Amino acid sequence: MKFFDILRTANHNLFRNKVRTMLTVIAIFVGSFTIILNVAINTGVNSFIDEQTASLGGDNFIMLMPSGSSEMASSMVASSEPVEFVEKKTGETEVGAFSDEDIEKLKQIDGIDADSFYSPAPLSGTGYYASDKTDKKYEIQNLMILPPGNFKIPLAAGELVDQNEEAKKKNQVVLAPGYREALGYETDEDIIGQTITIGIKNEILDKWTAIDVEVVGVEASGIVSSSMGTLISHAVYDALADAVYEGYPSEYRDNQPNYYIMATYDTNRFSEDEIKQAIADAGYEAWTVSDMMGMIRTFFDAIMIVFTIFGSIALLAAAIGIINTLLMSVEERTREIGLDKALGMSSGRVFTEFAVEAISLGFWGSAFGVVVAMFIGTLANSAVHAPGGFLAELPTFNLFEFTASNIIPFMIIIMFIAFLAGTIPAWKAAHKNPIDALRYE
Amino acid sequence: MEQPVIEVKNLVKVYGKRSTAFTALKKINLEIQKGESVAVIGKSGSGKSTLMHLLALLDRPTEGNVIVDGIDSTKLKTKQLNTLRNDDFGFVFQQFFMNPQDTVLENVTLPLKIAGKRRKERRELAMKALRTVGLADRAKFKANDLSGGQKQRVCIARAIVNNPKILFADEPTGNLDSTTGEKVIKLLFGLQKKGVTLIIVTHDEDLAKMCDRQVRISDGKVTEDSASQSKTSTKKPKKSTTKTKTAKNQTAKGEN
Repeated sequence: MKFFDILRTANHNLFRNKVRTMLTVIAIFVGSFTIILNVAINTGVNSFIDEQTASLGGDNFIMLMPSGSSEMASSMVASSEPVEFVEKKTGETEVGAFSDEDIEKLKQIDGIDADSFYSPAPLSGTGYYASDKTDKKYEIQNLMILPPGNFKIPLAAGELVDQNEEAKKKNQVVLAPGYREALGYETDEDIIGQTITIGIKNEILDKWTAIDVEVVGVEASGIVSSSMGTLISHAVYDALADAVYEGYPSEYRDNQPNYYIMATYDTNRFSEDEIKQAIADAGYEAWTVSDMMGMIRTFFDAIMIVFTIFGSIALLAAAIGIINTLLMSVEERTREIGLDKALGMSSGRVFTEFAVEAISLGFWGSAFGVVVAMFIGTLANSAVHAPGGFLAELPTFNLFEFTASNIIPFMIIIMFIAFLAGTIPAWKAAHKNPIDALRYE
Repeated sequence: MEQPVIEVKNLVKVYGKRSTAFTALKKINLEIQKGESVAVIGKSGSGKSTLMHLLALLDRPTEGNVIVDGIDSTKLKTKQLNTLRNDDFGFVFQQFFMNPQDTVLENVTLPLKIAGKRRKERRELAMKALRTVGLADRAKFKANDLSGGQKQRVCIARAIVNNPKILFADEPTGNLDSTTGEKVIKLLFGLQKKGVTLIIVTHDEDLAKMCDRQVRISDGKVTEDSASQSKTSTKKPKKSTTKTKTAKNQTAKGEN
């Protein structure tokens, strides 16, 4: 008997008892549906997190901070204990900022790429955004010089300004998410190429300066990237800095404290923990991508585990359903099996036929599970991204992501489970004695 | 002398274990020649079915040998036994044993499907077999929708589809009325004319008399074998194939 015949016969036999087959398929469907949705969420969340990670420059990204920064940050949240005042020597750097010596010392740490140091000097002050589409003005955020190319920032529209010498001279910005609508533009695409105004105040001269800038991109909403603030070209930075620091001593502008430094490290030679240890030994602190993403992943992982357990329980029940269905089938078809064997069918073939029936049950159950899960997942994706949906602010976050690489292995696993469940009835069928089977009424 | 198509030597079959052991066959010796029609007659529990199962290689004997075409089956592996059954044997059962939900054609092609023949070839051979039994027009019918006589003819078609050397029939007319039974009998003896060896297990004396030879089984022993009484009768079947039924009946009566 050829394999194709076995496949046909198996499915033909399944079709003979439609109701029973359907109920078993539904049982498998429930389990596989739960798990495939779960797998899809997992893929969706992870690819979103990966994208966010990429926006920080990839896994080799590390953020360097002066020692005690993280405690400082947490002490702002927790009720602060009184801290004894200690007078600092003149010339000593402000607490929480890097001195030039610190930076030199950090560059010496083995594994850290000294050329990658990027310390975005934030420009802060009182200011606003305005556009001719609306009468309202909006307060400015952190203004940051566009980072170098290895920081891949996901955009909802437009493109990142290429930071070549030519581009540095243009007045260009990449807007933070959310401002597009406030500034009176319907879609992200509408605002690309438009000119908006950034106004900024010089505190000592009490003088306002407004400069026109071209919007070249809109950042995609994200968990991490939203904190990047508005990204400005060098020309914009220089123009705004000129306005803000007019009347200040020139040292003040040049010596803006570096609160943190972004850098990359050699991932081939050092693990995250090793590089953090090296930095800690030098007397500084570091945050890696895992530190930043850890919280998010842990949260989603916990949900995943719960759903996987539910799905697995459903699948276990389904597997028992397969055993039951096929055992009944073996009993019903005792005579048929006997005839097959009398006519020369080997035990191996009988076993294979029932095993293939079990695998077919697994296939149909998981196939329906996948199809329905994809349907519901796609609906859910558009629902959560619709205005008012809980992911409306995160357009690049596909809650459910279905790919061949997450669906196919999963279907193979279900079919394998079905096969395992099928071995018991198949073994029973294969060991039927043809004479006993033919006598059976 | 020609080699017997099946030869049985000192066949013993014991069912059950020591304390509950039951000896169904006690040292049976039998030779069946090619082209013969043999009736195995016996009461219920006599061991005739057991003998057929052993002859048909559906079961293994406790002792003794079943030699098919000079090959000792007891030395064959299960897989070779399966192949031998599939290639050389045909089976007709009293209860038909058809898959009722399948079509007539599917039922008839079953042995060929097991043999691993191609679909096209399977179809052709099955249609040929169905034409032989006069049911070619019922090929697409569900087996369940046929009458008893038609079902038995489909079974015969299935039994001959692989062109067997030996055809085993277990009470082939047991479930049929006399008219349909006759049709089936005609078919079976028609096959014998084409050189197929017939082994018919029955307790129907009339059917038994139509065979060239009668072997009576009682309490696991051969109590009577028409062939051993007159050696010449074993040669008869080949000549008698064209003879009328009555002529055969007379021979049978004379031997009784």
